[in-house]
Amino acid sequence: MRKNPYVPFKAAIRGIRRETGDVSTFLLEPESGLPPGAPGQFNMVGYPGVGEAPISLSRVPMEGSDLLEHTIRAVGRVTYFLSAFRQGDEIFLRGPFGRGWPVNEAGGKHLVLISGGLGLAPIRPVIQMSDKLQARRITLLHGARDPGSVIFKTEFRHWRKKGIDVRLTVDEPGGGWRHHAGMVTEIVRELQIRPAETVAFICGPEIMMRFAADELFLKDVPGSSVYVSPERRMRCGMGLCGHCQHGVWFVCKDGPVFSYPELKGYPDALF
Amino acid sequence: MNGENTSQKNYEILISRQQLASWVEGLRENFQLIGPVGVKDEAEFREVFSFDEINPGYRSTMLPPGKTFLLKPEEEILSFDITPEGPVAKEPPLPHQKRVLFGVHACDTHAILYLDKVFLGAFPDPLYRARRENTLIISLNCRAVTEFCFCHLVGAGPFLKAQSGYDVLLTDMDGEFLVELKSERARKLFRIEGRPPEEKDWKRKEEMELELLKSFSKDFRADGLREVFLSRPDHPALRETAEGRCLSCANCVMVCPTCFCHDIYDETRVSRTGIKRMRRWDACQDYSFARVHGGNFRQERQARLRQFVFHKLDYEGQFGVKGTVGCGRCIRWCPTGIDLTEIAKEMMK
Repeated sequence: MRKNPYVPFKAAIRGIRRETGDVSTFLLEPESGLPPGAPGQFNMVGYPGVGEAPISLSRVPMEGSDLLEHTIRAVGRVTYFLSAFRQGDEIFLRGPFGRGWPVNEAGGKHLVLISGGLGLAPIRPVIQMSDKLQARRITLLHGARDPGSVIFKTEFRHWRKKGIDVRLTVDEPGGGWRHHAGMVTEIVRELQIRPAETVAFICGPEIMMRFAADELFLKDVPGSSVYVSPERRMRCGMGLCGHCQHGVWFVCKDGPVFSYPELKGYPDALF
Repeated sequence: MNGENTSQKNYEILISRQQLASWVEGLRENFQLIGPVGVKDEAEFREVFSFDEINPGYRSTMLPPGKTFLLKPEEEILSFDITPEGPVAKEPPLPHQKRVLFGVHACDTHAILYLDKVFLGAFPDPLYRARRENTLIISLNCRAVTEFCFCHLVGAGPFLKAQSGYDVLLTDMDGEFLVELKSERARKLFRIEGRPPEEKDWKRKEEMELELLKSFSKDFRADGLREVFLSRPDHPALRETAEGRCLSCANCVMVCPTCFCHDIYDETRVSRTGIKRMRRWDACQDYSFARVHGGNFRQERQARLRQFVFHKLDYEGQFGVKGTVGCGRCIRWCPTGIDLTEIAKEMMK
């Protein structure tokens, strides 16, 4: 972090992968000084004149490459503006901010990763470091709206090779879809687990996180072993602007990853 | 504290109003002097040129002194020059104006300590920090309260008990002023000969506060709100107030001395040669405050009013202190007279 935490770092776009119609992954080479970050953390990504938006790291720089990645859906002022950028252009980053996934807790456990839609993006760095987690078993349960909106499609084969049990579902199947059809909660329900030896990281729409967590609770997984990453409006990323406040928390600096009991009971959320 | 501690003696002194006036006016040599001007609860903190302009008996102001002068309503936090190589970030110059905030009541002093927790925490805000360091805070114990005040119920007044984080504490002792020096720089700046306070003076100060405590009209129990708040977030007291009276005008937030929320937005110069990144006070009462793509976490007016009430009266876990200092401004300046203490009372019934 710089002395003035509002000053952004430049990052050169080294490549862009189109994931779906409106989702692209930007491969970014930041100027020196930007800390690499950890799985579950986010950067404020933007461009002067347009503004900044909080975007999760979908790849954390690791040995062999300094590139980081952000997977962005063009839906708002900032993200729509960025969707016009091409390889070689520069964007601006501040961060990384927040508390990421408690990856150390996966050691010796069955790590259950549950994601919905773009929620797979902040889960992806956990998968990428899976060989370092010393988890007994890793399962990824991923749901999307339809086959065309599944992101990181080309990577599932590689993840399976690493020993990760990848299970997919879509709400609206079609065109040769060979996996489960239905909500992600259904494939959570089918999962065989030993509740005391399970830790779960969930990211997706809030209602999906709620019901996926409920399925785990029905299997007697303790609340404190279930982690979620809620989305909130953010302007600063540092607990100053106040927009992301939820109960006593600043989602940006106390989260975005929370254990389920930390969020339970506060109004204006589904947890 | 009773003044018997010898090491403290030199830091506590009784002086005349005239001595105080000439000391404060003397500060103008190096500081811009800001003080309360006007009467009752409609005074205003602004620059003054002589002590006579200040009304030490003022009861309240619409805008709180701390937030107004330390976190300006709107300011540039960064700018970008547009160059052939792309935008280049430029930090704004740090504010260097030395300032005295004179006559800050206990509630408003506590509010500044609260803002410190926000803006001088893990990510210190450079502009806030510079202003904070350049500002001498001379606090003043209240001699009268408004019908809206409830500092006594939340541990923020009416007499200031905090021992640090500000510079001087004054108490108007009917003709004399008790001066308590609370910072090293205050001890350096204050070189007035006076009378050391005696036991009877401290006793008199205590009696004055006890007397003042009798004049408050607000009354609610601040403890135990937590369970009620979280178990009944849709309590009729909240719902009916929100739906029947709240205009979402955000007056409550704007006048609140602890409300720190702000928006950050970019302004491009018409000539397209530069961009300013601005911040401006924002309010949880605004419809779009908690909106994200695909949803709004506080779409209903009730949810927005609840956020204000809960943040002020509960959610102590956030900074270890309540979000309210009991100044009563949100009640005084609500166009429909919404009173968070009444909502709390209804919910506790």
